[in-house]
Amino acid sequence: MRPSPLGRIVRVFAIAAIVLWSLGPILVGLTTSFSTQADATAVPARWIPHEPSVAAYSALVGGGSGHAFTQGTASDASAFPQSVLNSGIVTIEATLAILAVSILAGYGFSRLPFRGSRLLFWIVLGTLTLPLFTLVVALFRLMADLGLLDTQLGLVLVYMSALSPLAIWLFHNHCRDLPPEPEEAALIDGCTRWQAFRKVVLPQMRSGIAAVSAIIMLSVYGQFLIPLLLASTQSTKPVTVVIAEFVGKYSTNYPLLTAAGVFAIVPPAIVALLLNRHIRGMLSGSTG
Amino acid sequence: MSGIVLDSITKEFPGGVVAVRDLSLEVAPGEFVVLVGPSGCGKTTSLRMVAGLEEVSSGEIRIGGRVVTSLPPRKRDVAMVFQNYALYAHMTVRANMAFGLRMAKLPKPEQRRRVEHAARMMGITELLDRKPKQLSGGQRQRVAMGRAIVREPAAFLMDEPLSNLDAKLRVEMRSEISSLQRRIGTPTLYVTHDQTEAMTMGDRLAIMRDGDLVQLGTPEEVYEYPADVFVASFIGSPAMNLIEGLFERLDDGFRVSFGGSYLQVPNATLARCPALAGYAGRRLIVGVRPEDLELTDHISVGNGDALEVTVARAESLGSEQIVYFHPQARDGALDGGAELTIGIEDSPTPSRVLLRARLGGRHVLAENGRVRLGVDLDRLYFFHPESGEAVAR
Repeated sequence: MRPSPLGRIVRVFAIAAIVLWSLGPILVGLTTSFSTQADATAVPARWIPHEPSVAAYSALVGGGSGHAFTQGTASDASAFPQSVLNSGIVTIEATLAILAVSILAGYGFSRLPFRGSRLLFWIVLGTLTLPLFTLVVALFRLMADLGLLDTQLGLVLVYMSALSPLAIWLFHNHCRDLPPEPEEAALIDGCTRWQAFRKVVLPQMRSGIAAVSAIIMLSVYGQFLIPLLLASTQSTKPVTVVIAEFVGKYSTNYPLLTAAGVFAIVPPAIVALLLNRHIRGMLSGSTG
Repeated sequence: MSGIVLDSITKEFPGGVVAVRDLSLEVAPGEFVVLVGPSGCGKTTSLRMVAGLEEVSSGEIRIGGRVVTSLPPRKRDVAMVFQNYALYAHMTVRANMAFGLRMAKLPKPEQRRRVEHAARMMGITELLDRKPKQLSGGQRQRVAMGRAIVREPAAFLMDEPLSNLDAKLRVEMRSEISSLQRRIGTPTLYVTHDQTEAMTMGDRLAIMRDGDLVQLGTPEEVYEYPADVFVASFIGSPAMNLIEGLFERLDDGFRVSFGGSYLQVPNATLARCPALAGYAGRRLIVGVRPEDLELTDHISVGNGDALEVTVARAESLGSEQIVYFHPQARDGALDGGAELTIGIEDSPTPSRVLLRARLGGRHVLAENGRVRLGVDLDRLYFFHPESGEAVAR
């Protein structure tokens, strides 16, 4: 049915309003990042900068003096490149580790039931309901005792325990929805269980793996509380923490802050764009 | 070298559901045996136990003379064709067909030779480099068959391989699979719920119901001598008419009566089956196949070879028609015993059982018209009223 002209106008406005609502802050961030501090802090607000400038960006990538931009803040602009690298490395390491565990566990829970497997599955899922912040004190003690404070390994281990249950649950549902016959055909065709999994089930799971990877990557990349507590030096601090540390007690350089934000959006945006199709499939339950 | 032997196989699922009970069955070398029955009768479970995809609760399975009961599927030397084809979606047709050979570590040239030979047999040579997604249902079916053939296994297992195909293709593939199997001579266990498929393809039929093997025999045997009312109504299309009636002794023989009308029981039937005489004065179930009924116009009241009926509706198939009748006698409806329910899925509405007849396509029958149906008395079936077991034919 074609909507009436009035209906169409209402719809266009509604969509425009939603888009503006979502993209508005990003837009403000973008214009601010190309401003000078004077433009950014002017009253009344200047939506379009009087003096467009890329100084904030060049400060972030190492041109010019980082200190000139940030005074009296926990991190200065020169910490930014390292933090992006830290975020990238930990995200990839954690995602690979979580995939390795949860693909096998999800497959196992859905295809290889054993005595008590239901109970175990629900216990694993149950950990999803524990808010992470209730555990941070204990987590900090544990990491300190293990000597894993301020290490990538420590962060990866925490992310694994926090995010694997979600991934296991997603892979469990994914495997349950896949037709079991190709695997059975492979078993009859001469495969051991492991060979059938590797040669037939794993390729079947391709789109599910893409979707869960994206979900996990975005989630790890956006972590704040955990690295704030466990990653205390520039060698491990991720971009989320460093950006927050650009906010000073007495002054904040808004162009620098927003330029860093714009930079930080790029990697997750690329992941989301590339794997968008799979993510939608996973969330709507059809995994073709 | 023997074929497939199932020796007292039982499958009990956790929770106590018995899917297959004490099933014994032998598929001789070169033989094509069809496991047939309504859904949930245990036929697929039986096949999966032979394949090793399902554990056996008790009993023994032998394939090619080897006991395989506790071997994993890969060590059983069988090939299976699935209902949804179960092709490996990420591999080409060639890789799909060669997969089993690769797992068996056959030399590359031998793999290539066998795949190409099988592809020629199935007429899919030009599809070898395509992916399953690019194939039609019929082509996928051929690839699945080809994948089974290349293995040159000790047995073929097929689980409703034709049910995802359209009607025309199904008929084509039916005869193709049969003739292929005859040429290769590999013992085959084939599962279907379609009695036409079973009758046309099987050397022998194993008819199952609720986990039990009800009857095992050639298509002719199960059609001519069904073991009970279940087999009688399951085999044959349209299904056999089953009417409860009173078996009576007369001075000059026997007859079976339904309210106002009756049918004479030929002496030849009693000679074949003397036990029938013991039912004198008792009720039993009479079976008449729709193809053993015909329109008659000779008005010989009291001959006991015809029934008076009213036309309910007719389904024309062109060359023939399936006609449904309300059974009725001169003084009203046929005895209430006609309301029989036989426990098969596609039985007609149990509340009011209609007689079915398969008649020539040219008769013009008016709805509600009264006609006389001649009955081939030599082809009456008699079943025990409670157990449903065959008494005589």
